[in-house]
Amino acid sequence: MVNFQIWLVSTLARATPIREFMHTKWGWPAAESLHFIGLSLLVGTISVFDLRLLGLAKRVPIAALHRLVPWGLVGYGITAGTGALFLMAEPDQYVYNPAFHLKVLFMLVAGLNASAFYLTSYRRTTAPGASADAPPAARIIAAASLFLWISVIIAGRLLTFYRPWPCGPAGPGFLAQCLPGYVR
Amino acid sequence: MDPFFLWLESTSLSVWTRESTSVFAFPAILSAHAIGMGLAAGINAALALHLLGVGPGIPVRELRRFIPFMWIGFWLNAVSGVVLLISYPTKALTNPVFYLKLSLIACAMWIFFVIDRRVLRDPASEISEPFGTRTLAIGSLICWAGAITSGRLLAYTYSRLLVDW
Repeated sequence: MVNFQIWLVSTLARATPIREFMHTKWGWPAAESLHFIGLSLLVGTISVFDLRLLGLAKRVPIAALHRLVPWGLVGYGITAGTGALFLMAEPDQYVYNPAFHLKVLFMLVAGLNASAFYLTSYRRTTAPGASADAPPAARIIAAASLFLWISVIIAGRLLTFYRPWPCGPAGPGFLAQCLPGYVR
Repeated sequence: MDPFFLWLESTSLSVWTRESTSVFAFPAILSAHAIGMGLAAGINAALALHLLGVGPGIPVRELRRFIPFMWIGFWLNAVSGVVLLISYPTKALTNPVFYLKLSLIACAMWIFFVIDRRVLRDPASEISEPFGTRTLAIGSLICWAGAITSGRLLAYTYSRLLVDW
């Protein structure tokens, strides 16, 4: 695993122009702002759709509300794109960060969960004349989606507190891991 | 203002959020602030997108059902924001960007109230004075994006962290 992490860090670190851009005065703050705007777009549209599947606002046809979901994907694209910039600018701050591992895990499960909706429930819930009540499978997926995206946000906010630092003789600092190759 | 900041910074809540290594101190408060942002700004954005033509089949009045969740986000952020302010009062209150952020949120919430009153509760009166529905929706998106951006910039634009720093 450590060998894979070392390879990943050195591969990502090859994106020199991105690292240089991100370390300009406005690079990092601008990317962070876009990351949070994309997050809000994603969470706002997807949570509204999930709440509808869970039974809120039953007079709103699920198919009509589903039109918001592509905008959630736009939010996802903005957030993932700016996220990739952070990762390429400071790869070791993420690749060795346990909060980042959790965040990626939650994102993967959230993606599988969304795919499960399209495989099991999309047609049934959005067909003309579909019932106003979403089937149990869709409700479980919606509840999981809310839980998972909130978890992604929490893991993302925890990144700062689990950053790896080169450890001196005193060992790791506040909640931090040591970078490989340094004294543990 | 320094004596006031100094007093605030010496309160036990302020000291605890700043100095505690517990994951329930600063990390939890920041997480709550990000979740509340997603709900408050995001549900308002969803509302604005609908007013701009996304999901024409959605009965506009029914969108009011989602507003309590926007309020959950708003209050989550008001409370976590006050705690963050108490932990670093000098940092926020001596930074003009902080006042810009509050003004943008005030502007966004004013637009929300206008949309709620004129459009959601009474869809028949959609062409309203002095601003049309589209203008309100675009204004809402701009104010929320501006509030988020200025919030993020607080970490980069402060001149003093604490009174004695």
